[in-house]
Amino acid sequence: MRRFLDRYWYAYAMVLPVVVVIAVLVLYPLAQGVYFTFTNINEGNIANPVLERPATFDFVGFKNYLNVLSGGDSFGAFWGTLVRTLIWTFSCVFFHYTIGLGLAMLLNRQVRGRTLYRVLLILPWAVPAFISAFAWKYMFNAQYGIINQLLRSAGLPDPVWLGQSNWALVSVIIVNTWLGVPFMMVALLGGLQSIPGDLYEAAEVDGATPWQRFRHVTLPGLRSVSSTVVLLGIIWTFNMFPVIYLIAGPNPNARILVTYAFERFFSGASRDYAIASTYGVLILSVLLVFATIYRRALRKQGEVW
Amino acid sequence: MAEVSYVKASRVFSGNPPVRAVDELSLEVADGEFLVLVGPSGSGKSTALRMLAGLEDIDEGAIHIGGKDVTNVPPKGRDIAMVFQSYALYPHMTVAENMGFALKLRGVAKTEIKAKVEEAAKMLDLTKYLERKPKALSGGQRQRVAMGRAIVREPSVFLMDEPLSNLDAKLRVETRANIAALQQRLGTTTIYVTHDQVEAMTMGHRVAVLKDGLLQQCDTPRALYDRPANAFVAGFIGSPAMNLKTVPITSEGAKLDGVIVPLSRDAIAAAGGLDEVTFGIRPEALGIVPSGEEGMEMTVELVEELGADALVHGAVKIGDASQRFVVRVDGRTPPTLGQHVKVAVRDHSEIHLFHPETGERLEA
Ligand SMILES: Nc1ncnc2c1ncn2[C@@H]1O[C@H](COP(=O)(O)OP(=O)(O)OP(=O)(O)O)[C@@H](O)[C@H]1O
Ligand SMILES: [Mg+2]
Repeated sequence: MRRFLDRYWYAYAMVLPVVVVIAVLVLYPLAQGVYFTFTNINEGNIANPVLERPATFDFVGFKNYLNVLSGGDSFGAFWGTLVRTLIWTFSCVFFHYTIGLGLAMLLNRQVRGRTLYRVLLILPWAVPAFISAFAWKYMFNAQYGIINQLLRSAGLPDPVWLGQSNWALVSVIIVNTWLGVPFMMVALLGGLQSIPGDLYEAAEVDGATPWQRFRHVTLPGLRSVSSTVVLLGIIWTFNMFPVIYLIAGPNPNARILVTYAFERFFSGASRDYAIASTYGVLILSVLLVFATIYRRALRKQGEVW
Repeated sequence: MAEVSYVKASRVFSGNPPVRAVDELSLEVADGEFLVLVGPSGSGKSTALRMLAGLEDIDEGAIHIGGKDVTNVPPKGRDIAMVFQSYALYPHMTVAENMGFALKLRGVAKTEIKAKVEEAAKMLDLTKYLERKPKALSGGQRQRVAMGRAIVREPSVFLMDEPLSNLDAKLRVETRANIAALQQRLGTTTIYVTHDQVEAMTMGHRVAVLKDGLLQQCDTPRALYDRPANAFVAGFIGSPAMNLKTVPITSEGAKLDGVIVPLSRDAIAAAGGLDEVTFGIRPEALGIVPSGEEGMEMTVELVEELGADALVHGAVKIGDASQRFVVRVDGRTPPTLGQHVKVAVRDHSEIHLFHPETGERLEA
């Protein structure tokens, strides 16, 4: 042990600042959040230095978890919201991936004005999310929005997009798809460009049709990029707060786990920090479990490349 | 199995000016023949091969495989198999899957694919590696897998683009022999591209020499060596390269450093009217003679000892300029650096004459 320290103290001294920073910035808030889930902390009993009021919240054990996991409406209908979150997440990532891949493949060949297309397609990404969110909110307006005007002029039914129905969820999925495609497209374009061209030629000589070349060369060649961006996409979308909140507000039909946690934290009669934290911890657990299963599944399919 | 023919086939890459990468290539390859395409870098060898594979458009002319015009047929319909320089093995498939891929696409039964793959693997000594991914193989093993992938398909033509260029020198010599033997055994028409003239000479039944997209000569290795059609082929085939010098010609013969090298009457007749010719002689047709005898005065500048022989590089004065010559001598008694030696033509039947401007071979 002595010798170990004698030998490596320098290395440890070097990583110490980073360890401290991470501990302060990540571990401490995380630990505090977890601690709150075992209390009944809210706006009324948290320590308030302005009013010179000491903290008066109590330790309540697993009560918050029981309340949330029992799925009661007054605690945000956890299971229903979880299902909606999953629908939201997987449909968004599905459309991101398929549309992004399609566009990447179009851009990966010699077309005139390729750079221009690329810039145009990256644009949604470059615009601040709240601006595009408001633009979309306006377009979804039931009476004046361009979407319904078009639908009406085509003689199609014009739903109340952002009303109290599942159309609200459909709307936010459409907007988030529009926002998320550029990232996937750029990432997959990079992946496509890293596939050696002679593999396509070999497949062509081997007698593969365009679809078979896509299936047996493109998709396997994109595996490592895809597995990373899909995992990232799922985590981001699962926790995607601004799009839903800016477009649908607290509409329960478009509610996902994070937006409900936010609602509990910042609105309502008494700001219920304990329930919000409980939601936070549950979201983290769901994502951890998911990421573990995902990595297992990938590994089972064998190393890529 | 099939014969292949290029009928004035050209490939023109657009650009300014357009590049005629392959220019009106006409070539007949017989059924079962091993034809080597050789030439310096950028001479259009790969392009010619890729045209045959259907990976490159044929802008002019036509290509026939097995008597059928395939000019506009996609690769899939040409019944060819290609070995790429980079091998282009599918990285996510095992060796067995790589080899069986084409059969799988064709819908051949699994058991049959397995049998064929195993047979080819045995032929190439790959049985141990069938379940591995290409990543986990050495360069030589990958090369064999690429060969195996071509063999399993039993195509009518094999195309190979510098398949040995990523191997080390020793393995290359070994693999060279194996490929030639394999081709002999399978009897499949093979077109093989290389820039290495030794590979071309040792492997090909016939060798086609390309330069700037133009076919220079296509003949057996022996004929290329003995009767090169022009100065380019003469300089390209044979190692070390033939000594090619522009020298004055008189009615008695070619004038080198005061020495007149006598030429046959036919040769002088063929050069009729020219003051100068390109005179070609291989290093092995020259020799060092005792100082008393007639010969060119040469100052030794470099001696390369190869074991059995040594190559002597040196300067000879021709006219006003000093020209470099290479002479092959007995390896046991090479001259030393800076020594002045007398060099003479040992074998007069090995003199080649070419037109000084066009480079065409003179004499019949
Ligand atoms: N896609 C292309 N566009 C324009 N020019 C090309 C293209 N491909 C090849 N060329 C040109 O065509 C000529 C022949 O190229 P090719 O690849 O056939 O040469 P090669 O004989 O195979 O050379 P190497 O021994 O270096 O492989 C070259 O001058 C090259 O620059
Ligand atoms: Mg080449």
